Amino acid sequence: MDNVEHFNNMLVRLEELLYHELSGCAAWKVELVGVDFIQSKKIEGNTEKEVIDHCIKEITAGGLVKSMTYSIGGKGVLLSLKMKDCVHLPKEIRLKKDGIHPYICPIANMILDQLIEKLNYETTYLAKLDFNEKTGECKVKCAIYQTPDKIGLVSDWSKEE
Amino acid sequence: MDDILEVIKTRKSIRRYKSDPIPDDILDKILEAARWAPTGENYQPWRLIVIKNPETKKKIGDLAKLGSGSRMTAWYCLGEMQRRFEEIQDPVKRAEVLRFMYSGEVSEFAKQAPVIIAVIGTLMEGSVDVPYDLSACIENILLEAHSLGLGACWVHGPVASTRDAAKFKKILKIPTGMGEYKVIAYVALGWPAEARKHPRPKKPLEEMVYWEEFGRKERA
Repeated sequence: MDNVEHFNNMLVRLEELLYHELSGCAAWKVELVGVDFIQSKKIEGNTEKEVIDHCIKEITAGGLVKSMTYSIGGKGVLLSLKMKDCVHLPKEIRLKKDGIHPYICPIANMILDQLIEKLNYETTYLAKLDFNEKTGECKVKCAIYQTPDKIGLVSDWSKEE
Repeated sequence: MDDILEVIKTRKSIRRYKSDPIPDDILDKILEAARWAPTGENYQPWRLIVIKNPETKKKIGDLAKLGSGSRMTAWYCLGEMQRRFEEIQDPVKRAEVLRFMYSGEVSEFAKQAPVIIAVIGTLMEGSVDVPYDLSACIENILLEAHSLGLGACWVHGPVASTRDAAKFKKILKIPTGMGEYKVIAYVALGWPAEARKHPRPKKPLEEMVYWEEFGRKERA
């Protein structure tokens, strides 16, 4: 067992345990999981694009994901992330086998954290985490609210890829 | 000993309040009820912050709106809210209910409540059951308030996320260390300005009670 496998196994145990204790709202408690990595990188930028691009550069350079793309839609509220070969994918696979849908994405947490820390976003919310075991791809949908008046800006996210 | 089943069965979450103040003697009875909640090994981890200041209540109401609205906007955009409320037949009414939810207005009512009680628990005294003790404490508050004719609502959403809980702590000057105090919820209190016409249906006992072992429905 290598270090990455060991850390993922520990995350699985903790994610299972937290879900068992808190049920669905466990997902609301874990937004800081993973942010220490990105906070150590001195991310810079004055716009969403600059901050997210810098985050992706550090995340890929750190070997946490092989490649990563993103788009912003849904009236500016939807941040869609696509990742390939995330170091945490084995965690998601094992959790699913254990009957729990994964709800912690440390990579998404990093980017959401920097939108708040560097651009003073009001709040963010990791809304959906999907992954494909065969292709090694993860798709994450996040709500990002630059200001309080962005709350309630609804649209159909199923039409956006 | 009085049977309190009727108090339990008639309690509902009340989110609209008259502006009339709650007299201190009534408030004290509610706080006393909280004090007598069951608690593991008698640790009594609860600490209650009674809030009447309109500015503080506004800050809490704004935070509540933000917390609920941020999640519900996303749930609506994913189609989940629509499924939750599909039993509302009238499309106009359904749309209004959904807007009320995803805008976060559903959780703003702390601003109008004459009193809010923040229920927090110390994590520093060795208690092993803090969330459960605090939940029992809240139930005592709700039942006593209802028995005295007050309306109340247990509100967890605005302190549910880690960042929102930290904001809530800062508003009330609660130490923010993760090992210091747990904020579990607040209770909004006031004289009811609404009579809930349609109590939400409860599952029948047959659906939720097993006898002697999991899944066994025949009464032993």
